[in-house]
Amino acid sequence: MAVREGKEQDPRIPRIASSIRVVPDFPKKGIMFQDITTLLLDPKAFKDTVDLFVERYTGRDISVVAGVEARGFIFGPPIALAIGAKFVPLRKPKKLPGEVISENYVLEYGTDCLEMHVGAVQPGERALVVDDLVATGGTLCAAISLLERAGAEVVECACVIELPELKGRERLNGKNLYILMESH
Amino acid sequence: MKESIIKPRTIKPIDLAGFSRTFRYFGRSKIQVRTNLGLLSLLFPSLSSRPYLSLLRLAKPFPLICKRSMASDGAEDHRLRRIASSIRVIPEFPKPGILFQDITTLLLDPEAFRDTIDMFVERYRDKEISVVAGIEARGFIFGPPIALAIGAKFVPMRKPKKLPGEVISEEYSLEYGTDKMEMHVGAVEAGDRALVIDDLIATGGTLAAAMRLLGGFSSTDRVGAEVVECACVIELPELKGRDKLGGRPLFVLVKAV
Repeated sequence: MAVREGKEQDPRIPRIASSIRVVPDFPKKGIMFQDITTLLLDPKAFKDTVDLFVERYTGRDISVVAGVEARGFIFGPPIALAIGAKFVPLRKPKKLPGEVISENYVLEYGTDCLEMHVGAVQPGERALVVDDLVATGGTLCAAISLLERAGAEVVECACVIELPELKGRERLNGKNLYILMESH
Repeated sequence: MKESIIKPRTIKPIDLAGFSRTFRYFGRSKIQVRTNLGLLSLLFPSLSSRPYLSLLRLAKPFPLICKRSMASDGAEDHRLRRIASSIRVIPEFPKPGILFQDITTLLLDPEAFRDTIDMFVERYRDKEISVVAGIEARGFIFGPPIALAIGAKFVPMRKPKKLPGEVISEEYSLEYGTDKMEMHVGAVEAGDRALVIDDLIATGGTLAAAMRLLGGFSSTDRVGAEVVECACVIELPELKGRDKLGGRPLFVLVKAV
């Protein structure tokens, strides 16, 4: 795990980085899977992760934290609770009951779809998108689309890990991406 | 202009212990909820023929008042009322005949969400809980904030093939067929005291599977945690899930009847 160098590195980040395990050849051969479940087994590392995001977003008038199913559901709610924002789950198709809006996005092979409840977000609200990891940026791009279609302003995307070689940062429709660490 | 989410609003609660004749408004239609004793059908027999009464079985979450005799109840009642009224009920989802308890509207109310977490944290902070296990996916929303507040590990219990690395799995019954739940090998250790969290308990099948995984009954070396309690926001008591938990206690905030 390459921890981002530079004068801005917070002293809590090395512990967080070392708590993440890499599982080779998952979900298929050639992929080095960044497994955050081991981070969740270290209460101090997990707390520090949430604190780093909360410190960044407190006092910025963010009223919505949107988390992408399923690992975004682990990091999003604690951030939302700490900054006093709503939590909005963005889900795979047919999971959310009632009226939804959908956004299709492209995968390596085929397409997938993300849904959000109608009325969860009001026009003019300032939103954050949270996920554990950004790879190609396809999921985050779909999430940004859903929030913007509902009239929200997406302030930033926040992830624990970035895979910079997959250039997800360029697919975020001009939105800024904040991460704690990169993996090469 | 799309309609905003229609939150059920409680009007005129008469008795929160369960004999309520509460009218809940969903959009423009007024829906009358039958009392537990069916008093309304005795008082107004002619109403039974009207079509909207097919929705009379609409389950309404009402707050569970745990310690009614205590003087400090006022604040707790207020929190439970807010939590219960923030949950919306969606009829005919995911299939006809089911009244779905939708907690996403609770998550849209920061105070209700905070109160929900606080009520669990208050209960568990001094119980030396070292593991909070949350069941995919809505258990992932409530479990981590509780784990963070009480200083416990968070262990996700997932559908098959989602967890990388070595897992143990447990099959459980659905209404038609079976499903499987998985947990990482090594997530829990001998001596761990565990809590299992989900948004709702219905038949209890999912919680029972999680308890077997945590307790070491599904692994060859039988290493496992002690499951101290199962905790859910909502219970559907008529489905008797409480009886499927191997004698382990269940704590819930609201019951939907």
